[in-house]
Amino acid sequence: MSWIVHNLWLVPFLPLLAAGLTALAKQRHRRFAATLAIGSMTVSFLLAVGAFAHTLGRHEDEARQVFNFPWFQFGTEWLKLGWVLDPLTAAMLVMVTFVGLLIFIYSVGYMAHDENFTRFFCFLSLFAGAMLGVVIANSLLLLFICWELVGLTSYLLIGFWYHKPSAAAAAKKAFITTRLGDVALLLGMVWLYSQTGTLLFYDNGAGCLEQSALGAMVAQTTSLGLAASTGIGLLIFAGAVGKSGQVPLHVWLPDAMEGPTPVSALIHAATMVAAGVFLVARVYPLMAARDIADVLSPSTAALQVVTWVGAITAVFAALIAVAQTDIKRILAYSTVSQLGYMMLGLGVGGVAVGMFHLITHAFFKALLFMGAGSVIHGCHEEQDIRRMGGLRKLMPVTFATYAVGMLALAGFPLLFSGFWSKDEILHAAHEWPVSCWPFYFGLFGALLTAFYMTRQVACVFFGNYRGHAAEGAAAGNHHAAKSRRHQPHESPAVMTAPLAILAAFAVVLGFLGTPAWPWFQSYLEGEAAMVDPDKLLAPGTLALMLGSALVVFAGLGLGWWLYGRRPMRHADDADGLERLHPEIFAVLRDKFYVDEFYEATVIRFNAGCAWLGDWLDRWIWGGAVLACKFITIGLSWLSRLFDEFVVNLGFDEGCRRIGNGARFTSSLQDGQTQNYLRTLALALAALLLLLTWGCKG
Amino acid sequence: MNAFSYLDLLNLLGPETILVLTSLAALFVDLGALRDQPLPRRWLAGGGVTALGGLLAILWLTNVTAQANLAHGILVVDPLTQLVKVVLVAMLLFTVALSLRAEFTEHVGEYFCLLLLATVGMMFLVSSEDVLTIFVALELTSLSLYILTAFNKRSLVSAEAGLKYFLFGGVAAAFTLFGLSLIYGLAGSTNLREIATNLAGKGTDPLLMVALIMVVMGFGFKIAAVPFHLWAPDAYQGAPTPAAALIASGSKVASFFVFAKVMALGFAGIEGNGAWRQFAPGWVPVLATLAVASMLLGNLAAIAQSSVKRLLAYSAIAHAGYMLLGLLAMSNPHRRADGMAALVYYITTYGLTTIGAFGVVQIVERTGGDSLENFAGFSRRAPLVAVCLMVFMLSLAGIPPLAGFFGKFYLFTAAAGAEPGNLGLLWLVIFAIAMSAVSLYYYLQVLKRAFVAAPAEAAIAPVVSFMERLTLALLALAVVVLGALPAWLLGPIADAIKAAGF
Repeated sequence: MSWIVHNLWLVPFLPLLAAGLTALAKQRHRRFAATLAIGSMTVSFLLAVGAFAHTLGRHEDEARQVFNFPWFQFGTEWLKLGWVLDPLTAAMLVMVTFVGLLIFIYSVGYMAHDENFTRFFCFLSLFAGAMLGVVIANSLLLLFICWELVGLTSYLLIGFWYHKPSAAAAAKKAFITTRLGDVALLLGMVWLYSQTGTLLFYDNGAGCLEQSALGAMVAQTTSLGLAASTGIGLLIFAGAVGKSGQVPLHVWLPDAMEGPTPVSALIHAATMVAAGVFLVARVYPLMAARDIADVLSPSTAALQVVTWVGAITAVFAALIAVAQTDIKRILAYSTVSQLGYMMLGLGVGGVAVGMFHLITHAFFKALLFMGAGSVIHGCHEEQDIRRMGGLRKLMPVTFATYAVGMLALAGFPLLFSGFWSKDEILHAAHEWPVSCWPFYFGLFGALLTAFYMTRQVACVFFGNYRGHAAEGAAAGNHHAAKSRRHQPHESPAVMTAPLAILAAFAVVLGFLGTPAWPWFQSYLEGEAAMVDPDKLLAPGTLALMLGSALVVFAGLGLGWWLYGRRPMRHADDADGLERLHPEIFAVLRDKFYVDEFYEATVIRFNAGCAWLGDWLDRWIWGGAVLACKFITIGLSWLSRLFDEFVVNLGFDEGCRRIGNGARFTSSLQDGQTQNYLRTLALALAALLLLLTWGCKG
Repeated sequence: MNAFSYLDLLNLLGPETILVLTSLAALFVDLGALRDQPLPRRWLAGGGVTALGGLLAILWLTNVTAQANLAHGILVVDPLTQLVKVVLVAMLLFTVALSLRAEFTEHVGEYFCLLLLATVGMMFLVSSEDVLTIFVALELTSLSLYILTAFNKRSLVSAEAGLKYFLFGGVAAAFTLFGLSLIYGLAGSTNLREIATNLAGKGTDPLLMVALIMVVMGFGFKIAAVPFHLWAPDAYQGAPTPAAALIASGSKVASFFVFAKVMALGFAGIEGNGAWRQFAPGWVPVLATLAVASMLLGNLAAIAQSSVKRLLAYSAIAHAGYMLLGLLAMSNPHRRADGMAALVYYITTYGLTTIGAFGVVQIVERTGGDSLENFAGFSRRAPLVAVCLMVFMLSLAGIPPLAGFFGKFYLFTAAAGAEPGNLGLLWLVIFAIAMSAVSLYYYLQVLKRAFVAAPAEAAIAPVVSFMERLTLALLALAVVVLGALPAWLLGPIADAIKAAGF
């Protein structure tokens, strides 16, 4: 086992250490905190690259190396933890550390004016450590621990500006919603442990994702007719649904945009939300496990659920994104939609398909978020796209990089990474034998993605700047008055440099997974990649590529036709789509009323239960407690009476008697010797009497 | 009568011989060589000589193993008697150590001579199973102690106490002698075991009962059991404090030991029954009566005392009541060894504790008197001595982990188990426990004065010599250690009892 496998723990440990040290730093130690965080992340990144290099060029059988160690013993069993180094881990490690590093650097500029700068970097480092822990974990338990830590840091960072009520509420919402999924994950974990007796993924044949355990779980059928592996897989998937914002637990993710923009970029676009996808990829053998008799069936039940949830999420979120006006919210729904794509990819095409989109998406979505952050920064914390416009000239670097990100996300053909990864998914969905609907969903989603991104870019960067006009309406607002004096401006280099780097990757990464040279797929599967340009021109592939390119162009064109052709003149103008179909727009703008639906059902139910609980507590239990109280008081009162008038009086009386007795006995001793001697004689007589008569009876 | 060589006799009587010679030496050294020396030097020299003799006697006792029963019990030497003699001499030594700064007399030689003679008397008492020698030894002890009680010739109280002690003791001795002669008449022997054999079958002859009670009176006087206790408070209060300490410790050890022997060996077979509502004539109900009366009266009267020496006298009476439980435990021949072990442990630890208590009282007396008021704020004036006082008082009260607690524990256990399969003497044990709860009151009274009350304005810090500090600290340490590790003493006692075939 090589050095890097042995010391893989350093990768998450360094940011954790940085977080711990930063937590001890004072608020004014800003430079210390930033240096420590960035430094630790840099070292982690280098280690991750080392690990990545280590996994290159290895075949499947030796591509996975694990290091397990016993943690503690309960009963006769040892609970083991460990980490694993395989291509999946290595690719994620590189992505997380690299994107994380760039976002850390970007944050130095973005958060420069925040007084809690140190705290921010502490949380960011903690997040990075926990996320990397999720990635390297070779035990579902260790993964779950880090998973919860990630959830915690997400909560802390969404609520970073906790003085804003909306941020505090969003943090709470995110935490509680993802918790729902986590409960299912925990149940799945318990079930898994009871089935296999281990939580290690890989343990030289004894792990729960290896053949023997999988076979046992597949053979086990539960009362509902599901195989145990399917049941466990679905429970674990429920955890992923929560974390990755899949329908119906997606509601927290858009609200999470209340956090600082680097947080949105790092946690709620590139890494944490991808953790759910990663989890599904990690336990993919479990999801895909099937009976030998069943080998001809096209897909397992668990994977079908993953596919459908992904497909529905992809379209659902994209539809909502069409009608949003907050620049970050659009990106948030876009993220949800893209995560749906990833799930879809996992469901129909396997680990490589989903993961490829995860990696490419991480880069361009981080790029978009950071671009959005730059825009917001430049427009003085303005987030409404209707109050922007014309920034193309004012913020050229941001515009250029943003455009690259937008085209990548939209899947602009050939040049951009999004095209290749999305195409891969569509290709897989097209060949999915169970149903053709996911493919159509995917195509429709692609159309929508291109459309809403075009709308956003048109509103933000083209036309004229509409910020002043809006401020006129909001005159008297101190904030507005301040920004009136300033035009939007380009962000500092510390922010734009990461944008440029990410933009480069948003282009380049795509070429790692083209049909002609599917290097990434081969890497994940431990095979040598072949350059085969013919595959690109294979009839099925080519037609599909052309089809999806057409769809993307349609989306772009539609968006440009609606928004770019006649830019909004005024912030209060009706939206282009709204003019055409106000009723549809209203539904989309209000996010299909999912929040309202939850409000009316889940939350009201919860409130009802809480009310009932309160009532029970107040009247039934409280009454019982009160009754106990009064009984106790009564008893203690009685006891006091008894104490005072029986025991104390008795004791006092006893003491008095003893005192009297003492004086009496003492007075017997009168000091007269003749009396002493008389006593002697009397004693003789008395004892004689005692013996002769007293003892007869 | 067996023929025996005088050398053997010397071997058996070595310790007693040494002490008698020492008494003479003390007398001669003081009267001859040190006549004109200053008083402190004479005390030191006399004490030194006495201590030397005592140490030699202890060395002899612990190193020369001898076992013999001479002339039908006139002289009995076995490991048990040797052990008790060691205890006696040890108590003599502690008494001597506490006497060295005494100022109550100029007759130093006579004082030490009498201490030694009293001890020799006690040792003979221990070594005898013949009523005649027992009586003679008893008288030797008593006479020495009478004189010691009255030794402070400048004090009226001392003289009065001595006279009372003497009168009371004389009458009691007369009764005893009468009783013993009746016994001889009934049994035709003076040897305890033969008496028991010969009395067997006589049943509850009234004459025997009279004789029994008269014998009990003599020993009851020695151990200060109610109603033969009346001399004790006066004697304890009036006697010079070291003398009172010896009366309360050594004398008590020897008296109890021989009392137990007389009752358990001499009157074996006429125990009677002391179980609740099953009284049958014999020595057990008599002793039970004495025990109850002693515990009740001793503990109650102690509460009303203002003189701490008098308080200790009543406390001694109460403790005599507890110790009688040990005698009662020996009424069952099968449990005799247990009772004896518990008794010896108790009297030993009690003796050590009480010497210590008297030592502290002696120190307090130097600041004006032995009344409770003189103890006020004592802990601030002499912290070490006060801590020792606390140990002694708490041990007397029977607080764990001090020796007094375990003494009571073994004693009560032995008494409760004396009648197997029957509640037996349990009523007495319960009474004893209740009375020891009462006793806590007056012991804590002393400690409260010493530790809580503020010292009087004019209170002075007592002068405490190094020897006194050392002695008190040793005694306190012994009380703590013997309490924490009772097996250190109980083990040898049990071995000795087994070896003596008691």
